[in-house]
Amino acid sequence: MFLSLIRIIKFSLQDISRNVWLTIATVTILVLALLSVNTLLTVDVLSRHAIDAVKEKIDISLYLKADASEEQVTSLKTEISQMSKVKQVMYTSKADALRSFRETNADNPEVLAALRELGRNPLSPSLIIVPNNVEEAPQLINEVKQIDSDIIESRDFTDNTLILDKINDITKKISEVGLFIICIFLFTSMLVAYNSIKVAIYTHRREIEIMRLVGASNSFIYLPFVLSAVIYAFLSVMLIIILFYPFLGILQPYLEVFFMDYNINIIDYFLNNFIIIFGLQFLVVSIISVLSSWLAIRRYAKV
Amino acid sequence: MIKLVNVSKAYLKNVKILQDINLYIEAGEFVSLVGQSGSGKTSLVKILIGEEKVSDGRVIIGDWDITKISRKEVPYLRRQIGVIFQDFKLLPQKTLWENVAFALEVCGQPQGKINKVVSSVMRLVGLEDKKDRYPHEVSGGEQQRAAIARALVHQPKILLADEPTGNLDSINANEIVDLLIRINNFGTTVILVTHNREIVNHLKKRVIAIDKGRVVSDQEKGKYLL
Repeated sequence: MFLSLIRIIKFSLQDISRNVWLTIATVTILVLALLSVNTLLTVDVLSRHAIDAVKEKIDISLYLKADASEEQVTSLKTEISQMSKVKQVMYTSKADALRSFRETNADNPEVLAALRELGRNPLSPSLIIVPNNVEEAPQLINEVKQIDSDIIESRDFTDNTLILDKINDITKKISEVGLFIICIFLFTSMLVAYNSIKVAIYTHRREIEIMRLVGASNSFIYLPFVLSAVIYAFLSVMLIIILFYPFLGILQPYLEVFFMDYNINIIDYFLNNFIIIFGLQFLVVSIISVLSSWLAIRRYAKV
Repeated sequence: MIKLVNVSKAYLKNVKILQDINLYIEAGEFVSLVGQSGSGKTSLVKILIGEEKVSDGRVIIGDWDITKISRKEVPYLRRQIGVIFQDFKLLPQKTLWENVAFALEVCGQPQGKINKVVSSVMRLVGLEDKKDRYPHEVSGGEQQRAAIARALVHQPKILLADEPTGNLDSINANEIVDLLIRINNFGTTVILVTHNREIVNHLKKRVIAIDKGRVVSDQEKGKYLL
């Protein structure tokens, strides 16, 4: 048994090393298939981060009366904070609102001049409510509308509800389309891997016939090729790891610029999920390779 | 001993490749099986190595009735019958030594025995100095000798040679036939399938002629009559 295993490994390694070009061609095709899968995975991760970034920016502003006392504001803030759908509540005083307004319009001298002309602070203090989950924002708006407080100046959230609905709609569609594209890519990559292994076995059809003729048992015919298929899968995943991390390294600075104010690290994502991402890829490619080898050999190994 | 009793083979209904073949070949005999292309010689070879099954009749090799041999048993049959072919059927990515050793490796023989047996058969066929060459690096005659060496490693009681000289020039062909005679002298039954008239007439051994799937002549020390 042990001797047979050693020989099967020996035949497999001999086959790989003596058919270098076939090995290179097969592994290259597998690497290309994996490259497309990993590229798509990167795009998917980035789109999900982009959606999260947009969602994080979504908040509900509750404008308060200018004469509201600090105690009233604190009491209202506490009441809202205790709501289950609320992640955070921030208070913006009149002075803070004015400062922020000036900063935002620093390049717009006409607006600033108009503000000076007015001679007073026209802005209202507000409570900025960040929802736990953007999907629950419409319900949260309804709950906020029910609050009984004299210091609330404006409760009209019609625009927010519309925008939230649109964002939810867009993110749902992006997820659906993303899933569809991933499925197509996965299917195509699996088909490519399946065919490349079948071609590799096709070139060995004469050898398989000879093995049969000299009295090789099924295990001696099948297992070296099956082992070679697993080695192809291993080599292709190793190569994709070697190729893909430098690519992510090049991509990262661009992402940091693009997702300004939002912490994103694609390299960390691939490092933190290394085992799941590449382990799963190795497993799937191995299964496809072994299956295609098995089917192809079966065809040529008939007595 | 090889015994064929009323053997028929048909691939299609009413299209019989072999019809009512009755043959008895003694252990240690040298038999030439002759016939034109399409006469049924190759079908008979395929039946003897378990590649094809008979439509009717019985096939017995030694004390083994292989008429209804299962796919699982075929490898064991092939380890008992040495076979050589016109196109040598050597593994191109293995050296001559590895090709010969492979037939023993797949049976799980220990390395020490493999080294001993392979050395001995390589010496017998005169290839000990070319053992590390790949098939494409040697002549056709040498490839056929390697194929014979491979067929001999199991020390088979029967050696089946299907047109072994078909791809060789006359000098190499004669060398191969001489080698087959030497192997036969060791006690191995040799069945030489050929349509080479010169070789058959030179051998002066038993000749079985097949035509249109039937045995048309069976002569001790016969000649190529077709």
